[in-house]
Amino acid sequence: MTVTSPADADLEVVHARRPRPRRGVSLRDAGPPVALVVVFGVFAALSPGFRTLSNVQNVLDAAAVLTVVTCGITFVLMMGSIDLSAPGIMGASAIAVALLVANNRNDNDFGLLGVVVAVLLGAGLGCLSGLALVTLKVPSFMTTLGISAVGLGVATLMFAGVQPNVSDRMLEGLAVERFLGLAHLTWIAFACVLVGWLVQRYSRLGRYAFAIGGAEEVLALSGVRVAPYKVAVFTMAGAFYGLAGVMVTSQLGAGLVQAGKGYDFSAIAAAVVGGTLLIGGRGGILHSAVGVLLVTVLTNGLVQIGVSPYWQGGVQGLIVVAAVAAAVIPQRRRNQVTK
Amino acid sequence: MKFTSRHTAAAIGVTLAAATLTGCTEEVGGGGPAAAAGACDPADVTLVGQVRNESNPYEAAWLDGGDTFAEQVGLTQQRLTYDGDSTRQQEQISQLLAGDTECLVMNVLPNGDSDTPPIVEGAEEAGAYLVTQWNKPADLNVTDYDYWLSHITYDGVESGRQIGDALAEAIGGSGGVIALQGVLDTGAAKDRFAGFEESLAANPDVELLDDQTANFSRAEALEVTKTLLTKHGEDIEGIWAANDDMALGALEALQQAGRTDVAVVGIDAVPDALTAIEEGSMTATVSSDGPWQGGIGLAIGYCVATGELAAGDIADEDRAWFAEQFLIDQDNVADFVSPETTESDFACDNLFSRSQGAMS
Repeated sequence: MTVTSPADADLEVVHARRPRPRRGVSLRDAGPPVALVVVFGVFAALSPGFRTLSNVQNVLDAAAVLTVVTCGITFVLMMGSIDLSAPGIMGASAIAVALLVANNRNDNDFGLLGVVVAVLLGAGLGCLSGLALVTLKVPSFMTTLGISAVGLGVATLMFAGVQPNVSDRMLEGLAVERFLGLAHLTWIAFACVLVGWLVQRYSRLGRYAFAIGGAEEVLALSGVRVAPYKVAVFTMAGAFYGLAGVMVTSQLGAGLVQAGKGYDFSAIAAAVVGGTLLIGGRGGILHSAVGVLLVTVLTNGLVQIGVSPYWQGGVQGLIVVAAVAAAVIPQRRRNQVTK
Repeated sequence: MKFTSRHTAAAIGVTLAAATLTGCTEEVGGGGPAAAAGACDPADVTLVGQVRNESNPYEAAWLDGGDTFAEQVGLTQQRLTYDGDSTRQQEQISQLLAGDTECLVMNVLPNGDSDTPPIVEGAEEAGAYLVTQWNKPADLNVTDYDYWLSHITYDGVESGRQIGDALAEAIGGSGGVIALQGVLDTGAAKDRFAGFEESLAANPDVELLDDQTANFSRAEALEVTKTLLTKHGEDIEGIWAANDDMALGALEALQQAGRTDVAVVGIDAVPDALTAIEEGSMTATVSSDGPWQGGIGLAIGYCVATGELAAGDIADEDRAWFAEQFLIDQDNVADFVSPETTESDFACDNLFSRSQGAMS
């Protein structure tokens, strides 16, 4: 025993220095997908309504907006930063797009251009968070909270007391019209996951985001200018939130200041449930997508099996905590930020 | 501890100043019960309306109603909003009360039940005339105070029952319905659902298939309704929602599912709901008449401040009361699309005409 212990310790040190290559699926990443399958299986066994095709479509449709928000937040989390700006940015872009496409408040009818402007507005606000972070050295927690307030302020100004209702066919159609059984918004969410995954896997931005989260000092010491990449990540996240705001507007048929309410924490929770660590350097888009599905399946399944609404909040929280605990047990040494 | 720090000195200075100021205000307001019968020159009265935010159409309409009343008596209303933030509400109130409170009239929407007591205490101490609406703890009695003139609220049980009955009628007296509840731990959500349960008991052929909460939110109602539509399918003939925002979310879900045969009812009479009722996609809602609420609170305070109404003459059952609410359906929706208050609504001898009885 006394002989093997130091050997074990050595082994761990080696592991820490040279992490396993990220190719393929390692065992420690399998937790969330397994949890998803188990939860899905349990609900399917308990409720005939849950296992219908139309309900599976419904789950995917319901996951669309959260997926897009989570795509944005995942990159920020991978860097080891945190982002609470989603509610503000989504609110601003929701009102902006509602006022730019055909609506009941003004004579604008910019159609797709309006959508692009709203997404750019989101990107701009995200860029501001990033700039405040790297130039003023304010922690991301505070800058993004501030930007969220700015976004809500901008949204309230544009709102001006009268709710803009969308009459634009194209925007409304995104939520209503279907392709292969899924709403167009759901396909947009799929596209976002794909884009996010490509950025994460093949672009310098994605790989540096990982590296910043893993060991920012090392990266800086090897001559990489970290700041521009940080700003770029926040800008990209902002664009995703902007798009999510547009999607909410499409679903609700109206621009709401509160369009993004609660999405910051839902998205962070989904990302963490999926295995993206809050301290950065691990996880990724696909992990987060699994997390989003897990959370959405839970919400849907609890309604389908008829859990009383008075119990649902609590039950859902318990299952999420249990799922995260199961998923992170193999990595609990790395997770000490949660103490 | 060093005593040389500038911060310490500044802090002490501010504290002293604050203490002095508090002393002054107390002197002004210290007139006791007799002072509750005001003798302000109408031109000296300050009118303040405070609600959560102007991005809520109902609350914006409330403040507009306050403006209408203020115009009527040749004054202007100070519009305050606190973004649903209890702390900010308290700050705004204490700031107001730190100023000239002699002829101050406040018409306040407290953020929650627990926010009402400090506002009431503050107004009492400063001698400012106060009317609150919607929220107060059940055990806080208006009659224990001199400057808290009245508390106005609405019988949620009644509104929940009214739209429940309207829903039952719309689906022909029998069929399956689902309910979208509000934030479960609020009085409004509980009362409204209790009223719906009364309505269900009176309409035995209407079956409640499912009740879920959507937290008064349009977006959540959209998702919950979609899920329930896949769960119950064609069995759903009606949707009861505890407010209009959720009803509108449910309408979107129905539209996305291609269903046009489902009756939807809500409460609050927000503009979009009225439009939906006009178009026929929604069945009914209940209005508390926001503009009237904005005006009436100021009117009660104004009448007492100017001495036209003695505080002591307000009957006990008019100190905390349920105001009349109106069921709106396709027949009468036109009257409510741009609700207007008339001058006589706010006449000093007509202030309590909409009372449906004292709060139990």
